[in-house]
Amino acid sequence: MKTVKVCCGTGCLANGSMAVAEALEQAIEKTGAEAQVQCAVKRTGCFGLCESGPLVTILPDNIAYYRVRPSDAEEIVQKTLLAGEIIDRFLFKNEKGEKVLSQEDNPFYALQEKIALRNVGRIDPESLADYLAVGGYEALKKAITMTPEEIIKELEVSGLRGRGGAGFPTGTKWRTAASYDVFPKYVVCNGDEGDPGAFMDGSLMEGDPHSVLEGLAICALAIGAEEGYLYIRDEYIHARKSISEAIRAAEEAGILGEHVLGTDRKICFSIVRGGGAFVCGESTALMASIEGRVGEPRAKYIRSVQKGLWEQPTVLNNVETLANVPYIIAHGGAHYVSIGTEGSKGTKVFAMVGKVKRTGLVEVPMGATLRHLIFDIGGGIIGDRPFKAVQTGGPSGGCIPESMLDLPVDFDTLKQYGAMMGSGGMIVMDDRSCMVEVARYYVQFLCGESCGKCTPCREGLKQMLAILTDICEGRGRPEDPQILEALGQTMMESSLCALGKSAPNPVLTTLKYFREEYDAHILEHRCPAGVCKKLTAFRIDPDKCRGCTACAKSCPAGAISGTVKHPHSIDPDKCIVCGSCREACRFDAVMTEGRKA
Amino acid sequence: MKITINGKVCECEKGEYILQVARRNGIEIPTLCHHDGFSGQGACRVCIVEVVEKGRGKIVVSCVYPVEKECEVFTDSEKVQKQRGMILALLHKKAPGSEEISKLCSKYNAPVIDRFVEEPENKCVMCGLCVKACTELSAGAISTVNRGVTKEIATPYHEPSSSCIGCGSCAYVCPTGAIDITQTLSERTIWGKTFALVTCESCGRVIGTKEEIAYAAKRAGREPDTLCDACRKKQIALGFKAIYGE
Ligand SMILES: Cc1cc2nc3c(=O)[nH]c(=O)nc-3n(C[C@H](O)[C@H](O)[C@H](O)COP(=O)(O)O)c2cc1C
Ligand code: SF4
Ligand code: FES
Repeated sequence: MKTVKVCCGTGCLANGSMAVAEALEQAIEKTGAEAQVQCAVKRTGCFGLCESGPLVTILPDNIAYYRVRPSDAEEIVQKTLLAGEIIDRFLFKNEKGEKVLSQEDNPFYALQEKIALRNVGRIDPESLADYLAVGGYEALKKAITMTPEEIIKELEVSGLRGRGGAGFPTGTKWRTAASYDVFPKYVVCNGDEGDPGAFMDGSLMEGDPHSVLEGLAICALAIGAEEGYLYIRDEYIHARKSISEAIRAAEEAGILGEHVLGTDRKICFSIVRGGGAFVCGESTALMASIEGRVGEPRAKYIRSVQKGLWEQPTVLNNVETLANVPYIIAHGGAHYVSIGTEGSKGTKVFAMVGKVKRTGLVEVPMGATLRHLIFDIGGGIIGDRPFKAVQTGGPSGGCIPESMLDLPVDFDTLKQYGAMMGSGGMIVMDDRSCMVEVARYYVQFLCGESCGKCTPCREGLKQMLAILTDICEGRGRPEDPQILEALGQTMMESSLCALGKSAPNPVLTTLKYFREEYDAHILEHRCPAGVCKKLTAFRIDPDKCRGCTACAKSCPAGAISGTVKHPHSIDPDKCIVCGSCREACRFDAVMTEGRKA
Repeated sequence: MKITINGKVCECEKGEYILQVARRNGIEIPTLCHHDGFSGQGACRVCIVEVVEKGRGKIVVSCVYPVEKECEVFTDSEKVQKQRGMILALLHKKAPGSEEISKLCSKYNAPVIDRFVEEPENKCVMCGLCVKACTELSAGAISTVNRGVTKEIATPYHEPSSSCIGCGSCAYVCPTGAIDITQTLSERTIWGKTFALVTCESCGRVIGTKEEIAYAAKRAGREPDTLCDACRKKQIALGFKAIYGE
């Protein structure tokens, strides 16, 4: 039996993987392959290496193909399925230029350790049978024979901390909720994933929905809840469908529902569509939103484990946190605690994007260094340009410079440096990213995504955006850095929720680690990265220019003149500072300089 | 139990808010979004204080921070002054038209930060009290619209609201006088809508808008008032007299 797995995660779907799956099925039918070798096409969740999709894996031969088009289907069936021949051009090429056959030989995968993503890309998310075949719901079967105390103890031993960003110990949270004799209690799964660069939770819900449900059900057993909600970001149509189908299948099979696994325990889940703003992922705003109120946070002096949804004890956990739970119950907390660092146990999934060669979903043990993630797994910077910074932790995370690349990534280390691991967003930037513009971009994002309820966040962000825009447009003033710092301090100390408290991070970290860039903008009227248009002029270095004419061809404004094999030049009056010539030049001859106002 | 505020020992109940305890003891804390009639919002943040527990200080919002254990509270520590100063400086630029905010700024030594952009003439500080009042007391004619930095308070689509009854509760609770309300002998205008005023049949004093009176009557399940409070009392007293004599 041969299985052709086609990745139908969001990234590959966008690249047309559904058509690839259909084409493969048609090709199998058309060639009559079925009669010669038993084979079937399986649509799975995200394989992780989205950038090289659509991805196809053939089992049991373990051949991994990349960038497959529907028009390639017949060839793959004819050659690989039927004749056992490997088609070279679909294979992955490693750093040394060698073609590798299996996923395991691809450095992107070889260096990962998958716990949360253990089934994603391996099983058909729409098939309960697939999930059961890989040991699914065994942990729930075990948990239902355990006392709540035993379940909680196992979680505590595991050292699992919340993956939603704050890193709160999951066992402790469950224990507190279990301690109240107030009913009903609720369990809630946070699938809002408002961080624009991230897609860990979406891929999990899409690719392995039952693991998330199983984790949430175990939580319900532990605290004594019968009802649960999955709050899913509104844009996540596939994830919602996948989860909803999984709930139906599990209830139909008697695994969830009125009689969990044939017992008199009841656990019913429903789906709630997210409110659409980043702030709705914040625990109290999320609960307000489920109750049908505006998604605004409240003061958390009384915690949700005591008074959450409808003022009842409530446990809220992140998708990835929950996906770890069945693994911990099945394999024991003692095993889980052996993975990771002193304070952060287990693995973490990252969504690595930006100027890195291999982008995608990556799961590694806690404590891996940024350098390992970006250079070993991610393969380094596109075009081998210099690395400049990595933004971790989502829109309110921090920007980390080259000098800190050897820091281990876990809950506590990055915090000491003003950044955070957060929920696992990771945006890699090269020397052509302007750090002031990066800070401005995040502040602008947060301006629209904060709820606007409290003064420091709403007014602070507004003033920060005005100042940063001024700096990027050449109106910066020498006192601006100090004002930004003072504003940031107030926002961190006196905002209502963690959005406002962490919103200054991108500004404060760039001020701290890339101060010279601010100074160049403010004092020298120059954007060193050549990004801020009002502070950039491009010039061609005649010593480096070979007269290849690539720049002249790429210029949309016709601002470049010169003859073949002679240095070209840019007419500053015509130049619109779009940067096309710099991208086009293969000899690094396009230089940036400041622009006088 | 006991807590100390600015060195003064104050008796309090577990779960009481620091602001309540402080005010009962004559200790002043500025507030904007707090109103005794409504549950706390914790939105404006001017009521911040520093709470020291086991030697560690933290900034909390006194209007919603419940006292759980013995602690020391400082309403004007260096940290509080700095953060409150910045918050007021921000509010001053948000609402340069508000005298109340200017007064708070000078009282609490808020820095003047010229670098900040200003919303000319605006008086609203987005404390949210008007929306609370409208939602909890009457009809729900106004709400916050948008989010983030463009959040504002308005009627649906910025048009005169059909559910507004012109009661003026919103203007009454507004700490900065930001809500335009004008009144002549026969009319009241608020939120772009003009209401006819009803006067007392007996003394001629204004008793409210027609809609407001009808709304109150409906909620109480009785006929709309035609007399003002004072005249109604007088009438009841007269009725008693007629039945029971002097
Ligand atoms: C502005 C903001 C946005 C957040 N967004 C998310 C989110 O999208 N998903 C998530 O799981 N947690 C999010 N969180 C964290 C949650 O508030 C909460 O800590 C988490 O869901 C708890 O689950 P955990 O303990 O399993 O991490 C957000 C927090 C803040 C302040
Ligand atoms: S910090 Fe920002 S998002 Fe959080 S309550 Fe305040 S305004 Fe809303
Ligand atoms: S009065 Fe406490 S936050 Fe506004």
